Amino acid sequence: MSQSAVVKTRESKPPSPWKPARPPKKLNNPNAVLSLNGRWGFLFTAPFFVMFLIFGLAPIIFSIVIAFFNYDALGTQEFIGTANFTELFADTRFWNALVNTVDIWLLSTIPMLIMSIGLAAVLHNPALRGSTFFRTILLVPNITSVLAIAIVFGQLFGRDFGMVNIIIGALGFEHVDFIQGTTSSHIAIASMIVWRWTGYNALIFLAAMLAIPGELYESASLDGAGKWKQFIYVTLPSLRNTITFVLIVGTIGGLQVFAEPLILGGSYNGGDSGQFSTLTLFLFEQAFVAYKWGYAAAIGIMITVIVAIVSVINFYITRKLAGDGK
Amino acid sequence: MSKKSISIKASALLASAALLFGVVGFISPASAAIDCTKATTSGDGCTVLTVNTFGDVIQPSLISAYRKLRPDIKLSIKKSDLDALNGTGLFTQCAANGAGNPDIAAVEISYSGFWRAYPQCFVDLRTLKNKANKSANDIKKDYLPWRWDQGVGYNDSVIGIPTDVGGLEVAYRWDLFKKAGLPYKRADVSKAWSTWDKFIAFGKKYVAKLTPAQKKANVGFMDNVGTIYPAVMNQGTEKYYRNDGTDQGKLVYKTNKNIRKAFDTTVAASKAAIGTRIGQFSSDWNVGMSKGTFAVMLSPAWMMDYIKGQAPDTKGKWDIADIPGGGGNQGGSQLTIPKGAKNQQEAWNFISWYLAPEQQLEVFQTYGLFPSTPSLYKNKELIGFKDPFFNNAPVGAIYADGVSKLKPIFEGKLQRCIDMAMGSAISLVANGKEKNPSKAFATGIAAADKCK
Repeated sequence: MSQSAVVKTRESKPPSPWKPARPPKKLNNPNAVLSLNGRWGFLFTAPFFVMFLIFGLAPIIFSIVIAFFNYDALGTQEFIGTANFTELFADTRFWNALVNTVDIWLLSTIPMLIMSIGLAAVLHNPALRGSTFFRTILLVPNITSVLAIAIVFGQLFGRDFGMVNIIIGALGFEHVDFIQGTTSSHIAIASMIVWRWTGYNALIFLAAMLAIPGELYESASLDGAGKWKQFIYVTLPSLRNTITFVLIVGTIGGLQVFAEPLILGGSYNGGDSGQFSTLTLFLFEQAFVAYKWGYAAAIGIMITVIVAIVSVINFYITRKLAGDGK
Repeated sequence: MSKKSISIKASALLASAALLFGVVGFISPASAAIDCTKATTSGDGCTVLTVNTFGDVIQPSLISAYRKLRPDIKLSIKKSDLDALNGTGLFTQCAANGAGNPDIAAVEISYSGFWRAYPQCFVDLRTLKNKANKSANDIKKDYLPWRWDQGVGYNDSVIGIPTDVGGLEVAYRWDLFKKAGLPYKRADVSKAWSTWDKFIAFGKKYVAKLTPAQKKANVGFMDNVGTIYPAVMNQGTEKYYRNDGTDQGKLVYKTNKNIRKAFDTTVAASKAAIGTRIGQFSSDWNVGMSKGTFAVMLSPAWMMDYIKGQAPDTKGKWDIADIPGGGGNQGGSQLTIPKGAKNQQEAWNFISWYLAPEQQLEVFQTYGLFPSTPSLYKNKELIGFKDPFFNNAPVGAIYADGVSKLKPIFEGKLQRCIDMAMGSAISLVANGKEKNPSKAFATGIAAADKCK
C-alpha cells in the first residue's frame, strides 16, 4: 500500500469539520447571495468587531495612554511623559524578569518541540493501533486547569516531601530545593508548560505530517532513504511552516507565563530574590500590589514589543534552518 | 497571612444536610414556610447576602446559628486568597465605581492602612442602624480602641468593624522537647525563652540533639525563622510609619531602629540554623506539621485551628507558651460594606450581630480566633478556656495576657508593599541566599523605596 493511500483512508475516517457546506437550497439565483454580501457581511461580522472594540482595542488604547501617566486609579492622575519607560529601563527587576522569562521559555520550548514532533511521528506510523485513543489522551493535559497543574507540580517539586525529591533521595542524591534555586525553579515551571502543551502541539504536527504528499516518501524510498533519512529530509523540511507557527504561538504564550510561577511561589514576587519572577508576574505585581497602573501599562507595552521582536527572529531562524527543504 | 481550612466543605455539608432534612420532612410546617438555603438570588422573601472573605473569618457554625435567627437571609460566602481579595478585588471594583462589589468584604489588617486612605470605596457604617437602633458610633465602646482605629478612614468615616485580634504566642511540641531532654512544661518553657536570644539558644540545644538522619531530612527547631521578623517588629511601638497625628502618618522605615533590630534577630536565628526553611502554607509545611519536621511555630490565635485541621494526629502533643519578649500580634480583619453593596441594611444587621461580644466568645471557643472586645478578657468562660488539643493549655488566659501587653501600632498606606519588600529581604537571609545581612537589609529598603 502506498503512503498516499494510507493518508487518504486515514483522512476519510473521521468526518472532516472543513467539509464544504452544502449549497443553500432556496436561493435559485446565485447572484442573490452576492448582492446581499455588501450589507449583510457587515452585520454577520459585527459581533466579533463590537466585542473586539470593547474588550480588545479599547483596553489596548487605554493602556497605551496611561503608560504616560502616574495613574492612581482611586486618586489622581498626572501626565509624566516617558518617565515610566525611563524608570523601567533602569529597573533591575524588569531585566531580571525578562531573563527569567526567556530562560523558562527556552527550557520549555526546545524539549517541547522535539518531543511533540517525535510523538507526532509515532502517531503518524500506520502500524500504530488505537491511534484515535492516543490522539485523544494527548489533549488531556491541555484541557486540565492550569491552576490544578501548578498546584500538583508545586507539590511534586516540594523540598522535603515532594515526589521528585523522594526519587532523587532514593537514588542517593541530596534533596534539591527546587523553588529556592534559579535554574531549578525554572525547570519546575518549564516542566509544567511542557506537560501541558506537548500533546497539543503533537496533534498540530501530526496534521501537518498527514498533509505531506505520499509521492515524496515514495521517491525518497526509491532513492534508498531509510525511515530516519525520510524523516530528516522529507518530513522535517515539510513541517517548516508548522514549526514557525508553533514557535510563534509558543513565544506568545511563553513570554506571558503567569499562573505557574504565581502558584509555585504563592506570591506575586516570583520567589524571594525574584528568581522566577516573569514579565507578566512583574506587571501584575506593579498593577495590583504597588497599584502603579501607569508603570504596569508601560511593562505591558514592552512585553508586546518583545513578543514582536522575538517572533520576527523566530520567523527568520526557522526559515533558515529548514529553508533548503523546498 | 491567609487562613485556609475545610470550612467550605463543612458549609456544603450543612447545606446538604439541611436539604436532606427538608426533603424527608423533618422541618415542621411553620419553620419550613421559608427555606432560603437554596436561594441564589434575592426574592421570594429571601435575601442573599454576598460575603467575600478569606480563610475562616466567617465561621461555619455561626452561619447556621444566624440561619436559625434569620431564616430569610442566605449568606453566600466566597473565599479567595488575601491579596486577590483585598488587593485586586476591592481595588478594581472601587475603580469601577462599586460594580461587582459584594455586600460584605473582609479587609485584613495588612491592608487596613491602605484602605483607610480610600474611604470613598466603602459605606460609612455610622450611617446605618441595626434592629436595636445601633450604628457604628454606638458599638465603638465595645472594641479595643487601636483595633477600632484600623477601620477608620482618613475622613473619620467608619469603614470596618474589627473581627479578631491575632494575639501571637508560641505553639510547641512538648513531646519532642521532652525527648530532647529540654524543659517541656509550659511555665518552664516560657521562662527558658523569655527573650529572643534565649529562644535562639534554646533552639540550638534542640537542634544539637537531632540525629544525623533527622538533619539530613531537614528536621529543625522551628518552621521558618522569617516569622521572627514581624513578631519582633510588632512588639515595638512603631513599624514603617510614625503616628504624627495626621491621617497618613510619617514614613520612618529608613530610620526606625526597631526594624533593624527585628531584622538582626531574624538573621541571628538564621545563622544559628534553627529553622527548617520551609515556607509557611506550602505543602511541605502542612505535611511537616504532623510529621514533627519542626517542633515550634509562632502561632497567632487563629493558627490553632489551622494546626488542628492539618495535623489531627498530633492531638495532645502540642502546647502553648508565651512568646519571647512578651506580647505579639499577627493578623486580624475588619468587616466592611463596600460601596455599591445591594443589601447594605441587612449587611449591617449581620456584621453588628456577628462581631458582638457574645458571638466573638463563641468563635473563640470553637475556632480559637481571639476576640477584639475587651469586655471578654475578664470573662470566666474565656479565661478558663482550655484546649485539649494543646495539652489542656489555658489558651484563653495565655492569649488574653499576650493581647493586653500589645501596644497599638500605626499602619499606613504602603504597609503591605513595604512588608513584602522587607519579607523578601528576610527570606534572602533565612534561605541562605545572601550571606551579608547588611546587604540584604539594603536590598529590602531599596525595594521598599519603590513602593512610593
